[in-house]
Amino acid sequence: MNPVVEVEGLTKRFGQLTAVDNATFSIEENLIYGLLGRNGAGKTTMMQLITGQDFLSEGSIRLFGENPVENARALAGVCFVKESQKYPDDFKPKHVLKSAPWFFPNWDAEFAERLVADFRLPVGRRIKKLSRGQLSSIGVIVGLASRAPLTFFDEPYLGLDAVARQIFYDRLLEDYSEHPRTVVLSTHLIDEVSNLLEHVIVIDEGKIIMDDSADALRGSATTVAGSRAAVDEFTAGRDILHADRLGGLSSVTVGRLSPAERSAATAAGLELAPVSLQQLIVRVTTSTHGTTNPDWSEES
Amino acid sequence: MTTLTVGEAAASARPATPNRFLAIIRLHFVSPMTTIFLPWMILGFIFLVNLAIWAIIFTSVPTEADRASAQEGLSWSGASFYIFVYMTFVAIQAINLTFPFAQGFGVTRRDFYLGTSVYFVLLSAMFGAGLTVLSLIEDATGGWGLGGHMFTSVYFGVGEWYVRFVLYFAIFAFFLFLGAAFAAVYVRWRANGMIALWAAITVLIVAAIALITFTDSWPAVGTWFAETGANGIILWSLVPTAIAAITGFFIIRRATPRS
Repeated sequence: MNPVVEVEGLTKRFGQLTAVDNATFSIEENLIYGLLGRNGAGKTTMMQLITGQDFLSEGSIRLFGENPVENARALAGVCFVKESQKYPDDFKPKHVLKSAPWFFPNWDAEFAERLVADFRLPVGRRIKKLSRGQLSSIGVIVGLASRAPLTFFDEPYLGLDAVARQIFYDRLLEDYSEHPRTVVLSTHLIDEVSNLLEHVIVIDEGKIIMDDSADALRGSATTVAGSRAAVDEFTAGRDILHADRLGGLSSVTVGRLSPAERSAATAAGLELAPVSLQQLIVRVTTSTHGTTNPDWSEES
Repeated sequence: MTTLTVGEAAASARPATPNRFLAIIRLHFVSPMTTIFLPWMILGFIFLVNLAIWAIIFTSVPTEADRASAQEGLSWSGASFYIFVYMTFVAIQAINLTFPFAQGFGVTRRDFYLGTSVYFVLLSAMFGAGLTVLSLIEDATGGWGLGGHMFTSVYFGVGEWYVRFVLYFAIFAFFLFLGAAFAAVYVRWRANGMIALWAAITVLIVAAIALITFTDSWPAVGTWFAETGANGIILWSLVPTAIAAITGFFIIRRATPRS
């Protein structure tokens, strides 16, 4: 494997606040990553640090094997699309599309044209006067058409409707399969992107609490439902991620079950249901202390 | 030298790095409406208004002697002053909004600031050349046939063409780089930086006034200004311009684009 980003012991403090806390992970080449977490978890700060937009307090970051800060060579392979991206005051979308190829050697103008049509972006209107969704679509178009070896999308679709978001996912997948590259998608619309993601990194209160392939995570938790007594008996001694109890019924989320355990549960009259990526992440990031089951954050 | 060779080897592994320093210069010119066309349009409007005023004066002052006196007064015109102040606005926008934009495109602070500085120099030269030409026309036509002064005032726009050009250039550069330094402080430290900067400027001015007053140096200061003259003072402005340009560079080098 070929890491494009290696982060080690990374800490970023803003005064009293520790935005990123001793984070260690790497981003491999040509995969789609999900950088997930709640608002204020440290996702944007993390991406700003990796792209040299912010300065670290402790630890190290290697971007294409080099320190990203003020490194023109390393940063030349990066496109960072931010939800709150600012544009020069009198810019129209056409100015962005005209200047982007000067910065991105792999820019595909034809692809950009097609995306403009897909998103119905009025290229001749001043950016200030665009709707929130149209503003977001500029960033999405730049992120896709730039074909940068490493592209960060930070909550790229604020204000985009469901149709536009689906277009984004479709175009991303199509173009990604033709032009493999590394994509990091930061979002809290986890269910929508869960089929896109190949690897998931979850950050909570600045700490990396999950770093695993999406496939491994999908089977890593199960909801056990049935009569309260049976559920209690089955889940006794297990780490319980979440529990809902209603009268005599109970629904409890536990970690990975072996085939033997699954048949035992079925024999006990319990119903087993898979836990979606979103539910799983909600479960592990709602705790106030960020405690996790070591099963999901296995070091690899 | 060793680091250079290592760097070159690493660079060859990826597609050639586009020259982002040049790209930044082009980026500043990509939407020329507010930075280039609008200032000239406003200047044109001010010129027309002035033309009307000169015509009114010209027709309402009958005797030659009175006309000469009125025209003498016109040479203290401040009509073209707005364009210099406008450049401060251009510089602030160029830094405050284009910096976070360029960072998203993976441009280093260094390339951004150097490219932006070249852009400011080009703007100064372009506007300087334009005003120089207009001042020469103003001279040649006897103040547009009405004895008016807009581009040739007592502060600038007199002397040989190259003197005029250098002076205009220096004034534009002063306002652009001063604006850039202020914007850099804002980009890096936001509102707190602005407050601290203005507080520092206030303290410095008060301290300078106090120093001059306590040492009874006002006559000397007056003499210096009188002896240096308008042209000399404009040339001296290159010192604060250079300081602002260099300070701006070091401030932006540690700035972070905030949302």
